[in-house]
Amino acid sequence: MSTVTEPVGAPVLEEVPARPVAARKRRRRRPRIVSNVVAIVLSVIWVFPVYWMVNTAFKPRYEVMTPTPMFFPQHPTFSNFVAAATESTFLVNLRNSLIVVVGTLIFAIVLGALASAALSRFRFRGRKLILVVVLAVQMLPGTALLIPQFVVFNQMGLTNNYFGLILAYVAATLPFTIWVMRGFFVAIPVEIEEAARVDGATNWQILWRVLFPLVTPGIIASSIFAFIAAWNDYLVAYTFMNDQSMYTLPVWLATFTTPTTGTDFGGLMAASVLFSLPVVIFFVIIQRNLVSGMSAGAVKG
Amino acid sequence: MSSPSATLVAGEAAVAADSPRQPRSPRRNSARFFPLWLLTPAGIVMIALVIVPIAFLLFTSFTDYDQRSLFTGEFSIVGFQQYVTIFTDPDFWWAIIRTILFTAAMVLGTIAIGMGISQLLTRLGTTMKYILTIVLVFAWAMPTVASSQIWNWLFQPGYGVVNWMLTQLHIFGDMTNAAWANNAFLAYTCIWLLIVWGGVPFIALTMYAAQSQVDPAYIEAARLDGASEARIYWTIVLRFLKPTLLLVTILSVIWDFNVFNQIWLVSQGGPNNATSTIGIWAYKTAFVSTHVGTGAAITVVATIMLLALTGLYIRNLLKSGEEL
Repeated sequence: MSTVTEPVGAPVLEEVPARPVAARKRRRRRPRIVSNVVAIVLSVIWVFPVYWMVNTAFKPRYEVMTPTPMFFPQHPTFSNFVAAATESTFLVNLRNSLIVVVGTLIFAIVLGALASAALSRFRFRGRKLILVVVLAVQMLPGTALLIPQFVVFNQMGLTNNYFGLILAYVAATLPFTIWVMRGFFVAIPVEIEEAARVDGATNWQILWRVLFPLVTPGIIASSIFAFIAAWNDYLVAYTFMNDQSMYTLPVWLATFTTPTTGTDFGGLMAASVLFSLPVVIFFVIIQRNLVSGMSAGAVKG
Repeated sequence: MSSPSATLVAGEAAVAADSPRQPRSPRRNSARFFPLWLLTPAGIVMIALVIVPIAFLLFTSFTDYDQRSLFTGEFSIVGFQQYVTIFTDPDFWWAIIRTILFTAAMVLGTIAIGMGISQLLTRLGTTMKYILTIVLVFAWAMPTVASSQIWNWLFQPGYGVVNWMLTQLHIFGDMTNAAWANNAFLAYTCIWLLIVWGGVPFIALTMYAAQSQVDPAYIEAARLDGASEARIYWTIVLRFLKPTLLLVTILSVIWDFNVFNQIWLVSQGGPNNATSTIGIWAYKTAFVSTHVGTGAAITVVATIMLLALTGLYIRNLLKSGEEL
């Protein structure tokens, strides 16, 4: 299903004489060291911001603000996490995030599964146009849907409201949900469907008993994308939700201050850890199964 | 949206075969309309929440919708006045130039480093490859709001660890109190690093996946003919990577053109609008100074600019073997 990792068909070459290859392989051993050094340097650079977040989060305040940065916490403490979770509206905002994300998932997955089944297992006029629209919608600038949705939702009293935010997220996630799941549907051999039909199954039975169970990996993959998109969104939530009690976690993090300490980077980094690390670790665990779907769906994590 | 001439891909043969025995019309009709039933719920949502809003955006760009309208719902149609306003505003042209140049800088950086890393990955042993991949996935998975806050802390005047490191290098002088967000060049550098840091993993891992599909026989043959490693990369590997490279480049251009969170959370488009790309500028116009009509007009222009790229993307996607 992946679009980007298309296997390249190549004619089989005749077997090459073995000796010169071995000689050259020996010559190529040396660059390994250079490659490894470069790889280590790059790994350190790329991991450093994440490390610095975790490092700062565990430092007491007097170790955070030092003229010479301390690369390891001398007196590791959980006080920043406690402060971030209890002295702010973390729990309320966490609840808001969960409500909105779960609501979005339910809508996007149910609607996406039905639509992608139609767009992959059937041929009808207008199908290609729909698919082009689905792809194109994902490329719109952020404000293209935000401005009209905000104006209309504002008139309808749907701003500062869970349902309004859920609707905005469904609009944003449905296109790639359809696209990703469609890839999984297309991969199912036609013969399976034919066999069920010969046995007398109706359209609905084929869908429920044959196709949906087979695309479960696709449903999981697109749920994860939709989850990440809704969980991470800042722009829409920041625009729609006016009251702090209605903020989702990204807005909470972007406006983070604790009443006792003001701009407190230990607290801010602890808050960043609370918000991002569960998702990041989950993503690292499952990413192997996602890379192909990710590139096919043109989704940025 | 679609006509009732739907037929089952899979079932066509089977239906045709057993149709003489079956009561014909109800079966055929249900098969015809079945995909439409499946499409209806998503279709309604897409029309109500995407298609209609886009039309409404276009309509809003021809009105004087502003803060007063948000409360009263009153506004009037002003024709092309909003477009005249933005096209005669030098700030608008600067925002476009800025966006194009900054997008180019980000895409070049991301693609160059990403290609380098994907090439590097093919030369590493299992352990090192695994470590680098995991590190990249970490950066990839970081939510942009969190990474922007990390950046604010890394580059914090007085206490930022990057400021400290640059000072230790003794190349740029004392950078300890450098306020990155208050200087246009420093703000761009800081945001560029943030976006490239977050964007490289996708390019590197996608290109690595594509690269592992290149038949090693070609490379081995070229090596036997005495081609240098650089020559092999340019004439053989890159030739196979071209379709994938083109796709991820177009995607990167679209994503970087639309970048919002990182700029907004690091510099708010400042200092003095120096980092206000067209997206930031549209947002500020529509939601900070609440000239919603003007913001809509800017967004329409930005959307039209992206439309050509999106067309290119879809065309290349189809060419690379994806079937609609």
